[in-house]
Amino acid sequence: MADSGSTSNTGTPSTPSGTPGPSVPKAIGSLAKKPTDVTRQGTQKLKFVPTLPSRRKKEEEAPPPTAPSASTDRGRGRGRGRGRGGEGRGAAPRPPPVEMTASGPFAMGPALAGTSARRSAPRSNFAPIVPLGPGNAASLGAGLSGSAGPLLKREKGSTQNVLVEKETKSEIDDDYYSDPDEGVEIIDMENVRQMDWMAPESLRKERKEKKKKKVIQVKIEDPSSPSGIKKKEEAMDIEEVDLANALDLSESEEEEELEDLIDDFALQGEADQDADIRQERLYFFQFPEPFPTFVSDIPSTSPTTMSVDEPPSDSRPRKVSFAADTKPPGPSGDLAGASTGPDADQAKDTPKIDGVIGQLEVYRSGAVKMRLSNGILMDVTGATQPSFLQQAVHLDLQNKRLHVMGEVNKRFVVSPDIDTLLHAMELRDQAEANDMPIDDTNLIKMD
Amino acid sequence: MDDDELISVLPIHYSNSLTPNVHIHQFPLLSRPLQTPPAAALSGKRIRARIKPVTRRLEIHVPVDPRPEVWNGERSKELGAARQEDDREKNQDVGKMKLREGEEPRLTEVRMRSEPIPQEGAYMLGVVRNGQLHLQPISETHQFRPTLTYLDIMSRKSRRSRGNAGSDEDSDDGPPPDPDEPPPVQIASKKEKKPLEVKEVQVSARKAGDDKGNLQGGLSAVRREMLLAIRAEEDEVWEDLDFCDGETVEGQEVFEAVFSQNEEHLECQSDITAFLKGIKGL
Repeated sequence: MADSGSTSNTGTPSTPSGTPGPSVPKAIGSLAKKPTDVTRQGTQKLKFVPTLPSRRKKEEEAPPPTAPSASTDRGRGRGRGRGRGGEGRGAAPRPPPVEMTASGPFAMGPALAGTSARRSAPRSNFAPIVPLGPGNAASLGAGLSGSAGPLLKREKGSTQNVLVEKETKSEIDDDYYSDPDEGVEIIDMENVRQMDWMAPESLRKERKEKKKKKVIQVKIEDPSSPSGIKKKEEAMDIEEVDLANALDLSESEEEEELEDLIDDFALQGEADQDADIRQERLYFFQFPEPFPTFVSDIPSTSPTTMSVDEPPSDSRPRKVSFAADTKPPGPSGDLAGASTGPDADQAKDTPKIDGVIGQLEVYRSGAVKMRLSNGILMDVTGATQPSFLQQAVHLDLQNKRLHVMGEVNKRFVVSPDIDTLLHAMELRDQAEANDMPIDDTNLIKMD
Repeated sequence: MDDDELISVLPIHYSNSLTPNVHIHQFPLLSRPLQTPPAAALSGKRIRARIKPVTRRLEIHVPVDPRPEVWNGERSKELGAARQEDDREKNQDVGKMKLREGEEPRLTEVRMRSEPIPQEGAYMLGVVRNGQLHLQPISETHQFRPTLTYLDIMSRKSRRSRGNAGSDEDSDDGPPPDPDEPPPVQIASKKEKKPLEVKEVQVSARKAGDDKGNLQGGLSAVRREMLLAIRAEEDEVWEDLDFCDGETVEGQEVFEAVFSQNEEHLECQSDITAFLKGIKGL
């Protein structure tokens, strides 16, 4: 009975369960599955087989994926020796991490990544381990030169270290690995980018649960704007209110967007403006064609006549002509060109407009609206944010210069508010209907 | 939405003082800021730019990081030679040939070439300052991608060395043959023997179709226009531009020009219905 039971099992010698069940018919003893082996559904129960070698292997696999490159040059032979030593010790709670050999650009420790004024990326603050000498370099690392990468911006980076430390420590608490010893450097995959100028970008992870940490991180990044911090705190509170009331749109991107919309526009004057770095962010707005035309209503010149007395830019009647510059050359462009013909000699191509055209309203719910004059109401929403670099530049052909004005941080799409638009259409249609002659015999009034 | 509380109001200023010179440059393959690598900056290299004003094509040259652990010097020499040849063909020499007399030419920069992108709607650049939003219209949008045309030279060389027939890689010599046009078999070999004259292709194609009718005058009209446009662009001379980063004095001046100086409220002449009416085809 016991023999038949053991042959029907998986065959491991150290099976704990060996007692045969009471209801196994003898006729088909070897084929029937024992009740202890079978779950209620009839599938084969899995037997737990704890053996010392398997456990050790599992633990050894865990550190290598999290330490993709180390800055030590110890050969693999020594690593193997260590493994053997570890095995010999048996039930060590945490075996020493497998040592990796240096290879690639990270061989000599982290060099500094450049930081830009606007996209200040926090520099990772994991302990840079001094490389333990060439030693037995592995085959991969043999071809590398021994010079370290240039450490140009270390001063700039080191000041950020202190600030970033708080952030990274909080992240470390989530994934705690063994202490860096034996020259192994622990690198967070998300911070690979900071290791070197040419380091690859790491893919961004979803950060739903880390929203608050993200806000803290941003706070620490911009210590120079105390009002900014306050605004971000408010934004966080607002967001919490939103989460309670609104639907659970658990897309972290949407929440970030709301926060940012309020954030972008609700900053009522920042105290510290570092003149060199230009903390103002550039935004990109996409308006529908045709952009409304604006004229100034200075009483000296009437808006309709195009005569110009003197060319100060704010007292001339002007029209905006975008069509001249943008691709679709709509009729509005030609009209503007024709009517501002005499002006065109004084302006370069388009007459200059300068002034207030409306206001941007930020609501508590996160909606942002633009109210332009003449009853134009537009909704502002965040557009798809590209992951690549966008720069706003100014091309100066006279001086042969290309100025980079900055990077575009966010894109917004502006669309007319539908209610207002439909209402205006109705009014216009009614007005047209009233204007039409009703005594035309061919027309039948459909009211 | 009526009980939606208003948090803040920002007046919107609009100014087109910098029109039509404000552009947006996009770098689809780049996600880090456009800067010279510190290693290259040490040797004095900067980002340079040049433009063909008529065809509105820009090029931005970004120096590479020449550290040996991330850059293969040997390969850069091969590619540099190929690029030099490519430059000569296409009339796009950089002009700074100082280093290249004594030593072999190397690839020291990435050339990003612009493609103009049509704009949908009116684009504006907005900056918030002092609780005000300032808008400037954006005239053009360009996307920059690195040009690797020197690789064509290298593949041509390797194909020539391998023999004209029996090359199993994609044939790179020009656009696919026009269906109206007789297959230019002899042209391919001619072109490979005289690789320096790209214009050869067009001339000989026309010759082959001379005896045919008008439509078969070598190339169809559209194709001829395209080739003419390409030729015209290649013939145009590059003008060098000073690439000023954000932190120069001139850059500051330009940035300040974005902001409107006037506090006057402008009157709007168009109606919101203009948006709906402006939709073509509606």
